Amino acid sequence: MRVSIILALYRFKVKAFLGALRASKASVALLLIYSLGLLPSIFGFSLIISNAVREGGASIELYIEVLASVTSLFMFFAVLSALRGYVAFEHEQSFVFTAPITPREFLVAGIFADFTSSLIFTHPIFLLYGITVHSLSLPAPSALLMLISILTFTFMLFLLKISLSILKALYRGGLVNALISVAAILLMLPAASLLVNLPFRYSLLPYPSSFLAKILVGMVYGINDLPLNLAGLVLYFLASVLLFHIFSGKNFFPAATYMPLISPFDTSMRVQTLKLQRSISMFSKMGRFLTLSLESRSLLGFLMRKEIIRMIREGSLFTIILFYVIISFVVAATSSGQAQGPPPALFLVFFVGIYSLIIPLMLVSNWRLSDLENLWVPLTSGVDMRIIARAILYDFILLSSAVPTAIILVLSAIYSISPLMPLTIIVSTSMIGCSVNLYIMVKFLGRGRRGTPSLLVGWVSMLLSALLLSPVYILIITATYLGLEWALIGFSAVILAYSTLMARFFSRKIEKEISRVEI
Amino acid sequence: MTPIVELVNVWKSYDGVQALKGLNLEVWRGEIFGLLGPNGAGKTTTLKIIVGLLRMDRGLVRVNGVDISEEPYEYKRIIGYVPESVSLPDYLTVEEFLIYSGKIRGLSEGKIRERMNYFIKLFDLEGKRRSLIISLSRGMRQKVAVASALLHDPDLLILDEPFIGIDPAGQHVLKELFNERVKGGKTVFISTHMLDTAERLCDRVAIIHKGQNVASGDLKNLQQISRAGENATLEEVFLKLTEEAREQLFEEEPIKRRGGFLSLFGRRGP
Repeated sequence: MRVSIILALYRFKVKAFLGALRASKASVALLLIYSLGLLPSIFGFSLIISNAVREGGASIELYIEVLASVTSLFMFFAVLSALRGYVAFEHEQSFVFTAPITPREFLVAGIFADFTSSLIFTHPIFLLYGITVHSLSLPAPSALLMLISILTFTFMLFLLKISLSILKALYRGGLVNALISVAAILLMLPAASLLVNLPFRYSLLPYPSSFLAKILVGMVYGINDLPLNLAGLVLYFLASVLLFHIFSGKNFFPAATYMPLISPFDTSMRVQTLKLQRSISMFSKMGRFLTLSLESRSLLGFLMRKEIIRMIREGSLFTIILFYVIISFVVAATSSGQAQGPPPALFLVFFVGIYSLIIPLMLVSNWRLSDLENLWVPLTSGVDMRIIARAILYDFILLSSAVPTAIILVLSAIYSISPLMPLTIIVSTSMIGCSVNLYIMVKFLGRGRRGTPSLLVGWVSMLLSALLLSPVYILIITATYLGLEWALIGFSAVILAYSTLMARFFSRKIEKEISRVEI
Repeated sequence: MTPIVELVNVWKSYDGVQALKGLNLEVWRGEIFGLLGPNGAGKTTTLKIIVGLLRMDRGLVRVNGVDISEEPYEYKRIIGYVPESVSLPDYLTVEEFLIYSGKIRGLSEGKIRERMNYFIKLFDLEGKRRSLIISLSRGMRQKVAVASALLHDPDLLILDEPFIGIDPAGQHVLKELFNERVKGGKTVFISTHMLDTAERLCDRVAIIHKGQNVASGDLKNLQQISRAGENATLEEVFLKLTEEAREQLFEEEPIKRRGGFLSLFGRRGP
């Protein structure tokens, strides 16, 4: 292996991943917002851990089970991703695989590049580790050993994933599929012991995740079976190194499958657009019941119909329905687990409200992917772009409120609770969320801002929406504590008036911005 | 008679790169006008500014005598545009897209139906009428885009690299269509790299280089300007003029260029 080649490949891979980030100065600032935004959660979570440890009383075995389940989940996804075979980027196929570079050199560079790139988003975990270690006043050797164990486990995952991917790429039989699938299922099966009493639990099984969990929990609680667990983890690591050594010696380049570069900072939208195209191919077969016909009378009605067709055929509607069905199941499951029966109305409101914020972001992101580049058609037609903007926004509000409204009405009927509060939250979130998200998205399409990653634009939209929705939550909670029906009705009216004003304010801004979009 | 398109001293930059540097251009009614230039010359930028997809930094653009900065919407009613990389709503069928194009241009129901059926037949898209656009080949998408641009029978048709991806039969149909339109007093404005096609098809061309108009006129004018001889082809004229423009540019900015080059290595020239 040539170190200089590995270093050159490493630099190239990291630069390719971060390429779009380097293209936009705003991205760096927004990445900072991402980090700062997570700080309260990190401090809160580390406080929960520290308090739990100090107060004691909890089952150490339960901690091991939970931690092993979480780490097993990471392993599960790593193993399952091998079913796709070895996936390389198109530019690697064209420029790297055609150069005199060995598969092992390519893979070693890849592991370190993947680790570096993942730090961009996983750095809060290390911060959580640092704060927790500090607040528990763990001795330095213990803290260091914990860190080394986490890193060993992480690199083991990388090595295992790569080895299994090459195995799948080279031997595309059903046997390999079965082997990988069985391994993945076996990894997660003991997690069921958290819900029901099972004879097989992580703490009893020699899984790598069990060893890691025992090391971490053992360090915190001072349990003395460290050498055994450490040896277990190291053995797994060595086994994965051996597997990697065997498979990285094979020429898998011709057997690799290719995909365009996926970087969260890739603003070309090529990758996401490709994904959406697949989605269109699938959902458009089902979504042909509604068509765009000549008969529509008003232009706004016609354009709204077109947007509804888009959202049906690209799968946005399906995603919203699926999303709320899952939430309903969670609410139902939570309720069945409670002895006192139906969930409190405030819990339902909170649950629905918080998650509803995601829907406008999803709708706006999908619009950007599927229709932004098509704006050249209306932009060059002379049509009043304000009507285009209105049609998009009205449909977003309509769709993002219609599906949850139906679900809320069903849930309210089942649990015999008043739907007024949840519906007020839904309509308010739809109006404010959609208008803010669309405005921020259109704003970031302007000169000098277009290179900003959509992920980070979404983060700003969510933040602003949440800020503007805070008065809504304050009013709802106040009304709930007052417990007066008339106050609830009055506050709902105030909330709806406030939301309408906000939506109108941002709608005007969108109308102004959309005609300035440069394509 | 006023030109249908007039660009006066148009400047445009992207992220510090000067795409157009005082471009002047005139396109006359009833002609097929070709915009030629090497890669990065500013052809697509020019067309996008004319159709309102990009805003110029400064200068004047008039379409049909209207200053597009003063009146940025109404003039678009007389233009039809087909971009180089055609992006179409993949989730619509061919028919639905053409209906959408007609509706946003304010065409009547009868007019949309009549024109849509005509172009679907002309471009051999009958079998694809109810197919989703996502299922079409690149050439077919291009045909759909051209049909959409022609639906309202515009006075000025602007096409960026219209022949790329279209099969020879399709190209023939397009050329015939352009000639017919010009005979009817309409104007066709294309940008292209295909110099032999431009020589046969265009009444006049403009050669632009680094955002400036190097020369414009018919082939005879260009032969005189370039001093390439009266038998020179458009390709020979183009190569000569762009080479001269490149040399002239280098002579005008030698110190700046060398300084910029040396500064990459952390030192400046003397």
